Amino acid sequence: MSLNSPFARRVGTAVAAVAVSALALTGCVSQSSSSGGSSASTLVAYTGQAGDYQLNFNPYSPTKIGGVGTIFESLFFVTQVNSDPYKPLLATEYTWNDDGTQLDVTLRDDVIWSDGEAFTADDVVFTFQMLLDTPAINGIGFDGAVTKTDDTHVTFTFDHAAFVDGPTLLGRAPIVPEHLWKDIDPAADVIKEPVGTGPYTLSNFKPQAFTITANEDYWEGAPEVENIRFLSLSGNTAGADALAAGTIDWQTGPVPDLENVSTTYPGYEAITIPMNQMALLTCSNAALGCTGPQTDPAVRKAIYYAIDRDQLNSLAFQNTASEMSPTFALTENQSELISSSIEEPVAPSSPDPATSASLLESAGYAKGADGIYAKDGVALNLTVEVVTGWTDYITAIDTMAQQLKAAGIGLTASQSSWNEWTEKKSKGTYQLAIDSLGQGPANDPYYLYNNNFSTINTAKVGETAPVNMSRFSDPTVDAALEVLKATNPSDTETRQAQFDIIQQKIVDVMPYIPIMTGGTTSEYHADKFTGWPSEDNLYAFPAIWQAPDNAEIFKALKPAGK
Amino acid sequence: MSYYLRKLGFYLIALWAALTLNFIIPRLMPGNPVDILLAKLQQRGGVVDASTRQAYELLLGGDNSQPVLVQYAQYLLNVGRGDLGVSVSYFPAPVSEVIGSSLPWTIMLVGISTVLATIIGVTLGAIVGWKPGTWLDSLVPATTLLAAVPYFWLALILVYVFATTLKLFPSQGGYDVILDPGWNLEFISSAITYGFLPALTIVVASLGGWLLGMRNMMVSTLSEDYIVTAQAKGLRSGRILRTYAARNAVLPSVAGFAISLGFVVSGSIVTEQVFSYPGIGSKLLTAVTNNDYALMQGLFLYITLAVLGANFVVDLFYGIIDPRTRARS
Repeated sequence: MSLNSPFARRVGTAVAAVAVSALALTGCVSQSSSSGGSSASTLVAYTGQAGDYQLNFNPYSPTKIGGVGTIFESLFFVTQVNSDPYKPLLATEYTWNDDGTQLDVTLRDDVIWSDGEAFTADDVVFTFQMLLDTPAINGIGFDGAVTKTDDTHVTFTFDHAAFVDGPTLLGRAPIVPEHLWKDIDPAADVIKEPVGTGPYTLSNFKPQAFTITANEDYWEGAPEVENIRFLSLSGNTAGADALAAGTIDWQTGPVPDLENVSTTYPGYEAITIPMNQMALLTCSNAALGCTGPQTDPAVRKAIYYAIDRDQLNSLAFQNTASEMSPTFALTENQSELISSSIEEPVAPSSPDPATSASLLESAGYAKGADGIYAKDGVALNLTVEVVTGWTDYITAIDTMAQQLKAAGIGLTASQSSWNEWTEKKSKGTYQLAIDSLGQGPANDPYYLYNNNFSTINTAKVGETAPVNMSRFSDPTVDAALEVLKATNPSDTETRQAQFDIIQQKIVDVMPYIPIMTGGTTSEYHADKFTGWPSEDNLYAFPAIWQAPDNAEIFKALKPAGK
Repeated sequence: MSYYLRKLGFYLIALWAALTLNFIIPRLMPGNPVDILLAKLQQRGGVVDASTRQAYELLLGGDNSQPVLVQYAQYLLNVGRGDLGVSVSYFPAPVSEVIGSSLPWTIMLVGISTVLATIIGVTLGAIVGWKPGTWLDSLVPATTLLAAVPYFWLALILVYVFATTLKLFPSQGGYDVILDPGWNLEFISSAITYGFLPALTIVVASLGGWLLGMRNMMVSTLSEDYIVTAQAKGLRSGRILRTYAARNAVLPSVAGFAISLGFVVSGSIVTEQVFSYPGIGSKLLTAVTNNDYALMQGLFLYITLAVLGANFVVDLFYGIIDPRTRARS
């Protein structure tokens, strides 16, 4: 920090002079170059990256910025949006033995890494062995053993039935090259020059954008979209601006005038996929230390019946949300898994104050003078935790507060920072919190049930729960989940029996109060590229940030007019 | 000499206090980085279960089992060695690397605009103060009004007019992403085009303060006897303005300028956010929202050092240019 005032001034003046003269020269440069970036064979994508990219193409790093599916491929492509057979990538076939302890995989034999080396079974064995040896990157929880049978066959063995690990193992474990990775620290290396088998290779990296280019030696032939550039902008508003200006070809997120994308943004189309089952999380289990009126199932169900979901959808979610099942099976593509004994397979779209009232009254509540129910002198007022700035959720809570007031239930939003909100959820120091429940690696509600309703995934209030924030714990659900783990996914009958048990229980007790299924909307440049997923042909989840689904879409796209 | 020693001692104590606060404050924040990372992953359609959490806990080493005093000693030792740790939000990049990549952008943008605002403000202030009571005085309320307007609003108006409507300047980013960063004309001119609007907002918003201070000092300096003497000698008024009046009136502004140079390093969070500029301010925001303690501490350390350093230099400098400040020592 030297302070040399005359010098600083002189430099300042000189820079200012340069700035002013350069401005005159470059006034138009930015416009011509931004259109130059949208040449016919380049797809410009905005993943929602705000701020700079920090180079990291390690597919096993939590802070990777890309490369899964596009540069590094897994054995199969497994998606959440359909129940099609897994699409072969590096492997062509897989078979489970009867009790789910052994998985045989046949590999493709004509694949080469982008540096020219041949891909073999050794690379697969190396990758999974690396996960076992480095627990810090074993996010998929692989706990078996892997052996090479011959150059195109590998065998996974487990000491327990591992059917449910199949989708992650086959579809979410990118295979890395042994010859390059054997000498590095897989947990800390950022893989500056990624070498993979995928349809694209990294051609250019800059903190504000990076570009991947078609791999000419790809085993399926080079994809038709030659370049894909990922941009960083400052957020959703910037994304919408860029869309209006036509400088990006694909982004995921809400934009102004979402209902009329094709007229407001000429050349663009939008697709909405209902995937996020929004719910009011409740700290439900008094036995594990939860306190408050929401520990009473009657209160939770009264809230469930008091919500006017049609109104909520139009006021808070721009009508992009859709119906939801209280069983937490997706109504769109898991509807056949909803138990037939559930009387109401879909949450009511209009409020039912009479049911709410009778539920509360039979639980010992009585309406006070202010119109709010009370029990033992304590009024039924609940607080919902939400993150500051999550405007749609905040609007949703305000709307629900109005609706619940009519049913005699007080609801207030408590806004806090993301940090504080996650802390409250994972420690269980909350009454209600609004969030959506995540899907598993495949189109199967088992993963959601196991994460959010099993005893092993929860903890006492005050301790950090891994995923089950509601503290729900029930031996029959745990037992049903154990049976599901040991059941071959093709045995639908046994599976359905277990789903029936779980669904009946969670509808009765309702530790998560279903709101609606939130839609993920993506806008894409339909005039420039063809082959986008549609509701009739949903071959992958069309969100730009969803890997490896986005790689399948990149491969399927064709420049328009070709 | 004891004047300088006393100053040095004071700054060492201030540095220690700042480092200690720097250690404590992030630890008072709720939440932990693993939770944030998992929440983000899940929002982005990632598959999160108990084994994912376990792996990330191992990876990020959220090990707080050591006694706080041991952590504190290690922290001081590491800072002394220049090891600021590993950033969690940009894992596994070291903090110094993350800061290093954004510091030049902030120093260039905020530094140049601070220098510009000071020069323009002080010059205008000298001229306005030279002729008090004329129409030039209306510059004072005009510029202070601009300084009083909420900064983000001013920035958004400028974006709307110059970027969205007139399309003279890009509204987002630090440079044209098609270019490769480097010392070539094309890149530098692109960086200047992209930096113009943010710089303009900073200059416009901070001009008023400099102008007002300089103008008031000018007015009081002009009533000094030596000005009358100079006028009586028959010196040209331009000479009196520059070497007699302005030179004495600028002293407080020099001190103010040095201190604001210290704050250059902390960047301008709002500016960088509005224009998605790749500087320190946006990094600080990322660090706070991700509970990235190491990055926060590193950034605070840089900011503290810059501010303390600037103050220290001003103190020394003032001792030289204005002997009155060290007269009693």
